[in-house]
Amino acid sequence: MTFTQVIINSIIRASELTLLSLGLTIVYDILKFANFAHTEFAVVGAYLAFFLSVTLGLPIVPAAVIAAIATGFLSIAIDKAVFKKMRNSNGIIIMVTSMGVAIAMRNTVRAIWGADAKSYVLPLERPIATQWFRITSLQIWIIVVGAAAMIVFHLLLHYTRLGKAMRASSDNPALAQASGIATEKIVTYVWFIAITFASLGGTLIGMETYILPYMGFAIIIPVFCATIMGGIGNPYGAMLGALVLGFAENFGLYINFGKILNLGGLVHFSRDLFIPTGYKPAISFVMLIIVLLIRPRGILGKKKEG
Amino acid sequence: MGFINFLVYLAIMMGIFAILSVSLNLQYGFTGLANFGQVAFFCLGAYATTIVTLTFNQSFFLGIIASMFLAGLFGYIIAIPTADLREDYWAIVTLAAGEIVRIFFLNEDWVVGGGPYRGGAYGVGDIPQPFRSHFAAQTYPFFYLGIVLVCLLLTYLIINRLTNSPFGRVLKSIREGDDNLAQAMGKDVKKFRIKAMAIGGIFGGLAGCLYAHYYGFISPQEFVPLETFIVWAMVIVGGEGNNKGAILGSVIIILFYNSTRYLKDYVPINETTLASLRMVAIGVLIVVVMLFMKEGLIKEKKRIY
Repeated sequence: MTFTQVIINSIIRASELTLLSLGLTIVYDILKFANFAHTEFAVVGAYLAFFLSVTLGLPIVPAAVIAAIATGFLSIAIDKAVFKKMRNSNGIIIMVTSMGVAIAMRNTVRAIWGADAKSYVLPLERPIATQWFRITSLQIWIIVVGAAAMIVFHLLLHYTRLGKAMRASSDNPALAQASGIATEKIVTYVWFIAITFASLGGTLIGMETYILPYMGFAIIIPVFCATIMGGIGNPYGAMLGALVLGFAENFGLYINFGKILNLGGLVHFSRDLFIPTGYKPAISFVMLIIVLLIRPRGILGKKKEG
Repeated sequence: MGFINFLVYLAIMMGIFAILSVSLNLQYGFTGLANFGQVAFFCLGAYATTIVTLTFNQSFFLGIIASMFLAGLFGYIIAIPTADLREDYWAIVTLAAGEIVRIFFLNEDWVVGGGPYRGGAYGVGDIPQPFRSHFAAQTYPFFYLGIVLVCLLLTYLIINRLTNSPFGRVLKSIREGDDNLAQAMGKDVKKFRIKAMAIGGIFGGLAGCLYAHYYGFISPQEFVPLETFIVWAMVIVGGEGNNKGAILGSVIIILFYNSTRYLKDYVPINETTLASLRMVAIGVLIVVVMLFMKEGLIKEKKRIY
């Protein structure tokens, strides 16, 4: 694999992670709890898109968009049914509850669609190959949607009334409410935005490989690591964390540590030394521990507690 | 006889999971540490005793000691870099740590001696059952149940003693979210968190050891994060911060889990769907208890000092 190919793969991975980590972080920012059901919404979205496109025969793009919107509404419904009643509870208690929600959602998907892997019906295509790298048009789409998510979040937070209200509610909910900002309304918007992007992310990941009821669990650790690494509650941190993790996961397997131990010939160490691919899931965790040891609140973490 | 054997099997499972949930309760219920990686202790305990008794052919007692030591050590090590972190960071760090333990045993088959179709994803079989030769096939499960119950009783007595001691009161003050209170009394919060994790790990390892010797076969697939959340359901349903509650919770969840297994004889439903619906019910149960009866079935006795 060429060096440029590893860079391209890292960017694709970072785009996928961003779609999920951005939503996780804004929900945390407003509601002050780590939502362990976040990636399960991505799975529900991916399966809804599968249902619309494969079972009902819709083209994949409208299917993905409709599925994302439907999942967004589902998240609002779950918020109203469960999390709304816990607004004043301790963050750990809501977090544990979200774990219960996650288990219920994951297994509902499994009960409906079965435990086997499913894949979307996509036209076969030859990847665009250059001298330095290969990329499929789907992967270009992943990067475009990931970048679009970043831009949308930036514009939303800084140039819209909703964004200002969101930031105000996050900084001081009581004051925001006193100033006439309807915090509950904002919570609804935040869920919708966060979960539609998560659903798109889940569908895109599913299109690149396949979909499984357990894929939410496979991605929860990297997504949380990206979010926490950047500083949970900070959208720019979530973007940065996703980027760092995307590169770490791909370069971690690409770098020949034997050559590094060689120190440019200073030490005689001629063996090749790679991280075994079976340990790829461990890379995100090790990165997280390293970052937290150096900066306990993440790379862009706020100094004071929210 | 079949039915009695089934009851003994249930009781053994209840005992093993009760040890796990008492151990998680010490960490979550008393100290407020959201350990989402409880299964790591279970896994380490199971593998440690397998290595000691099978690969090195040592006695069951040495296996127990190795299990408790290794899992306790893991709890200690994992707590050192994380003890200062916020609770929500704890959850993901411990969840990931549990996964790493599983990935380790999935990738490294040499730890259980190696050989074809052994270790890694194949799992390890032929784990010796302690004192097997002294008993007939029918009476052995009763004897094993005895071992499990003695272990549970000791776990309960030790952890109960700890949580009712000044040590336990410091843990509770940490749980109440105010590190300042504990610090004002000259207690190093970080050290207490590390101790709670290490002690929790020791007993989690014991449960893993008992599990491995009971089944005689273990593989990394049995130590997925789902196991952790079943233990969480036990602690939450039974009543957190309460050792009797943790035991009651494991009895209820194991009964529920196993009784629904026979539903397929009465309802036309396939195995996978039934397994999924069972887990949906456990997820919903966690949510309902958290929403409507947060203290669980047995309430923690809160004393005012």
